[in-house]
Amino acid sequence: MSYDDLRSYLAALDRQGQLLHVTERVDPEPDLGAAANAANRLGERAPALYFDNVTGFESARIAVNAHGSWANHAIAFDLPPETPTRDQVREFIRRWENFPVAVERRQDPPWAENTLDGAEVNLFDVLPLFRLNDGDGGFYLDKAAVVSRDPEDPDNLDRQNVGTYRMEVKGTNRLGLQPVPMHDIALHLDAAERRGEDLPVAVALGNDPVISVVAGTPLGYEQPEYEMAGALRGAPAPVSRAPRTGLDVPWGSEVVLEGVIESRERELEGPFGEFTGHYSGGRNMPVLRVDRISHRTDPIFESLYLGMPWTEVDYLIGPATCVPLYQQLRADFPEVRAVNAMYTHGLLAIVSTGRRYGGFARAVGLRAMTTPHGLGYCKTVIVVDEDVDPFDLPQVMWALSTKVNPARDLVNLPNMSVLELDPGSQPPGITNKLVIDATTPVAPDERGHYGQPVTDLPESAAWIDRLTTLLAERGGDR
Amino acid sequence: MNTTHGGTGQPAPTTVCPRCAAAEFDELAVSPVPGVWRVLRCDRCLYSWRTTEPARRSSRAAYPERFRMSRRDIDEAPHLPPVPDIREDTPGGDR
Ligand SMILES: Cc1cc2nc3c(=O)[nH]c(=O)nc-3n(C[C@H](O)[C@H](O)[C@H](O)COP(=O)(O)O)c2cc1C
Ligand SMILES: [Mn+2]
Ligand SMILES: [Zn+2]
Repeated sequence: MSYDDLRSYLAALDRQGQLLHVTERVDPEPDLGAAANAANRLGERAPALYFDNVTGFESARIAVNAHGSWANHAIAFDLPPETPTRDQVREFIRRWENFPVAVERRQDPPWAENTLDGAEVNLFDVLPLFRLNDGDGGFYLDKAAVVSRDPEDPDNLDRQNVGTYRMEVKGTNRLGLQPVPMHDIALHLDAAERRGEDLPVAVALGNDPVISVVAGTPLGYEQPEYEMAGALRGAPAPVSRAPRTGLDVPWGSEVVLEGVIESRERELEGPFGEFTGHYSGGRNMPVLRVDRISHRTDPIFESLYLGMPWTEVDYLIGPATCVPLYQQLRADFPEVRAVNAMYTHGLLAIVSTGRRYGGFARAVGLRAMTTPHGLGYCKTVIVVDEDVDPFDLPQVMWALSTKVNPARDLVNLPNMSVLELDPGSQPPGITNKLVIDATTPVAPDERGHYGQPVTDLPESAAWIDRLTTLLAERGGDR
Repeated sequence: MNTTHGGTGQPAPTTVCPRCAAAEFDELAVSPVPGVWRVLRCDRCLYSWRTTEPARRSSRAAYPERFRMSRRDIDEAPHLPPVPDIREDTPGGDR
């Protein structure tokens, strides 16, 4: 069963004990941010939080941490909550194979019930906005799906993009938006600004859980996110036409904003506590003017805490970063077994691969850096043998500790591109990148003394079953 | 001082921006329940804050040094992404 909106997902979380409704009165600050932050520290079964009693508000409804644990991520994909991470990634890969799944166009979206137009537009009238981190420059919309089209090819729906780009609320109808140059909206905005035109956008807030995942998934420029949502949901994504811009937005959203990114305009924005665990700094960035708000009656405002990992964003985009890199590497190198790019959106990635010949593994590492996502991320790529599970960090540490000789196994590349939010980059956006070849050398690379690995005994598999049975029987006696 | 506003017994609103100390700001919002809080935004650095936030976010005196912004920080903030050159062969302007 797939969810058509945020509400049915929250209900499913609730049924599985993964939603905590905080009924006591809380203050907008610091309580909401602190509670969301705290939820991230509760571990693998952390619940989503729901607040509806917030000081000074009459009817605020706020959901945070909806994706913020492996249990919740599993429920988002309609998997049993205890599904191990690695299996969640495997299932993501399996469903990806069904891409593309055409959208289902629906009339009468629930968000069409209420409308604010032109001078009536006031974000504060609709959204119970609040600050997350102390140093944030303001209140943010950080879990929204932003929809735009290629101004050079506006009828091409393969190029219609849905992405999560955080927005600072800077006025009643004014948002600051951060387009990282490697991301699709930056391409759309660049094309619009070269033409001297505003870029029409729709911002969908409070979405079904798979829309939030695909909006944070680094798909190819011509891979439409809605058609990936259909594949991952196992059912076409329901979309509706936004009335002012004609853009496709999720049928089930809580709130839809429409407007434009103003051409060639930049204005001070931030700082914002980022997914890197560091603040972004204050920069002059594009401005989004909101011309129309459509919303459900009593909308739920969804937000997400981010800061020092792990926080909700790391769960939300963890598997979503692994899988495109895996698919893109596999297209050239079928030897690739698995990719774990869950660290800081893939700023560090671990790839396991078979090796054709000496030098092959580091070529795979370099290829990861030249994928579209790798251009802005993949600062460090650790390559391990095919029998090392990149999701099992003790195994990765074993490979790093025994298979690496720094004399020859580090490929250090100067002056590569990275997103400027990487706090180590200098100047911002430029960094060295490093492949650590932690694979076993193969011919003609004859380095080291790897001819006598210790492998599990051939009888141990049978003994695992035997011991498991004995333990179960002993458990039954007690 | 013991001035209050909105009859809520709260201290009078801040008179300077906690972040950059500018004295000019706009009111972005007031609480739906009357008189509980207001949201203000600095005209110079665009910092916004709710009047009921902890002092470390809402008062100049308590605002942490590492988050403060000087005139220079504001003037020298980078432009991202840079505004591209206009294309010669397009009509330009709004369509
Ligand atoms: C909560 C959250 C906030 C994000 N904020 C931004 C942002 O401000 N700017 C940006 O370019 N990417 C941001 N991202 C990352 C992009 O959404 C992500 O890399 C996505 O794959 C980009 O897709 P695209 O290739 O369609 O642009 C954010 C992701 C999440 C989940
Ligand atoms: Mn995209
Ligand atoms: Zn200021």
